[in-house]
Amino acid sequence: MDHALTDAAVTKGSSRGAAGGGGPPTAARPAPTYRRRRLRQGVLAWLRVLPFVGPSLFGVTVFLLLPVILIFVLAFLQWNLLSPPTFVGFHNFVTIFRQDAAGHSLLVTAYYVVLAIPLQTVLALGMAVMLNRKLPGMGFYRVIFVVPFMATPVAMAVVWNWIFDPKYGFANMFIGWFGIPAQNWLSSYKLAMPVLAVVNVWQWVGYNMLFFLAGLQGIPPELLESAAIDGATSWQRFKGVTLPLLRPTMLFVLVTTIIGSFQIFDTVFVLTSGGPGTSTQVLNLSIYQIAFTDFRIGEASAMSVVLFVVVLIFTFIQFAYFRRRTVYEYV
Amino acid sequence: MMARSVGRPLKLGLFYAVLSALGASFLLPYVLAAFASLKPINEIFSQAAWVPPTSLYLHNYANALNNYGFLTAFENTVLVTCALTVGQVTFGVLAAYAFARMRFPGRDGVFWVYLMTLMIPNAVTLIPLFTIMRYAHLLNTYWAIFLPYALGVPYSIFLMRQFFLSIPQHLLDAARIDGCSEIGILRRVIIPMSRPVIITATLIAFVFGWNNFLWPLIVTNSTNKYVLTIAIAEVAGGYGTRWDVVLTGGMIALIPLLVLFAVFQRQIIRSVQLTGSVK
Repeated sequence: MDHALTDAAVTKGSSRGAAGGGGPPTAARPAPTYRRRRLRQGVLAWLRVLPFVGPSLFGVTVFLLLPVILIFVLAFLQWNLLSPPTFVGFHNFVTIFRQDAAGHSLLVTAYYVVLAIPLQTVLALGMAVMLNRKLPGMGFYRVIFVVPFMATPVAMAVVWNWIFDPKYGFANMFIGWFGIPAQNWLSSYKLAMPVLAVVNVWQWVGYNMLFFLAGLQGIPPELLESAAIDGATSWQRFKGVTLPLLRPTMLFVLVTTIIGSFQIFDTVFVLTSGGPGTSTQVLNLSIYQIAFTDFRIGEASAMSVVLFVVVLIFTFIQFAYFRRRTVYEYV
Repeated sequence: MMARSVGRPLKLGLFYAVLSALGASFLLPYVLAAFASLKPINEIFSQAAWVPPTSLYLHNYANALNNYGFLTAFENTVLVTCALTVGQVTFGVLAAYAFARMRFPGRDGVFWVYLMTLMIPNAVTLIPLFTIMRYAHLLNTYWAIFLPYALGVPYSIFLMRQFFLSIPQHLLDAARIDGCSEIGILRRVIIPMSRPVIITATLIAFVFGWNNFLWPLIVTNSTNKYVLTIAIAEVAGGYGTRWDVVLTGGMIALIPLLVLFAVFQRQIIRSVQLTGSVK
């Protein structure tokens, strides 16, 4: 990042120099001429650079910035895509909590986060610690753990659907070997959400493991060696040296996973469609159904705004922490 | 520490046992699905899932491709994903070069706006994007599926810009003295030197495009425009227990990605760690 800073500083300095190439505005050279020349130079620079940034500028404006503005407009309208929209104020925000159970969806999503995140983080860290040892075969296991994150979630969801089939699925066969009676996994109020959590942990744990692995490789070996010389057991070394030094990685993994978790859709859509009942009715699924099966664009947009706010809160936590960390680094 | 643990064969054996059990549970879903896709439907129901197929039975693949729309869906996915990837990387490289190496007023301000858009969750933009596509009369076209992600996305522009900044200025100056235009510098100096980050951006774009589900689900409604993810969800919803069709459909989407992973695994693993260190 400090590359960017020095570069920006250099650019600022030199562009000021270039603009002043004809001499700074003095009494002899009236300000309007200088300003006009600067303006012309600016326009020329933009014309030169437009073939480069033009397409992405259009894309970012129309497909990212405009939607963000629009979502805050749509959230205050009543609109079914056919008749002209009407302004309804905060009415949609009342409707989504009273009628569309936005509160319930938030809780369901939070329950998912509580189930999935600790399991995923502990597993990812454990796997990274195991693979960080210089033993034969580690590269092979790393590949096995990492492949799932590329696998199409929808395709994997149908595979899991089959594995958790009560009658023909592998899951019931497997627990049967240990004498556990067969379960109705995905149609059980108690088990549907844990199954979704396990499926998503399977998909993403290897991805997060890679971050921990990179973090572990960044720990200076001298620190662990000196702790060992001081007589620290391997658990003490892990707790006293490794874990504190992994804190930035841990926060990055936690925050990005939580932000992602609030947006889960694919696996829920295929495996449970929110059921049984509304026990897995996550926020993103509600938004989709309200918008594209009920065609209540206003209410769905209001719910998107709620989702946006939740995600922003976690983003700011990350930002605040990383600023603090940067300060520590320079001290 | 290492010598000690190697000296304890029992501990080491336990270590590998745990690792292998974990590894098996990670491989299991693909292996079971691949087995099932190569068995006739009656064997899928009658045999245990972990029994390998006895012969190379490819009927399920022909059936899914020809009778359940997976051939069309496969072609659509290839088309849309390639368009998305080529666009995103080409326009991304151009923008990243401008932000890293060209001078124009407001450059850092514009780039700051790009960075801010990283905070926008994808799910939040979908409804407005749908209304934009509807207004542009692009619903149910290939354009609608790939266009929003094909003009360069801030994330990959950011990734590539950081890389371009690390290329020594004197190389660019030398090219400029030799009479290279900006495009010439980009083609002859920047791109050859930035192969790793460009491969990373390409892989990220391709996997995103290939796996994308919610957005195509929103903007397409006729079977001749379906991509693989939609086709899979469709057969899973409509023929829930026809495991031969459903699982084979899933495998049709997974096989190209597994091949991609086999070819590029080193780059993929490096690119994940690259994205982590940049963020």
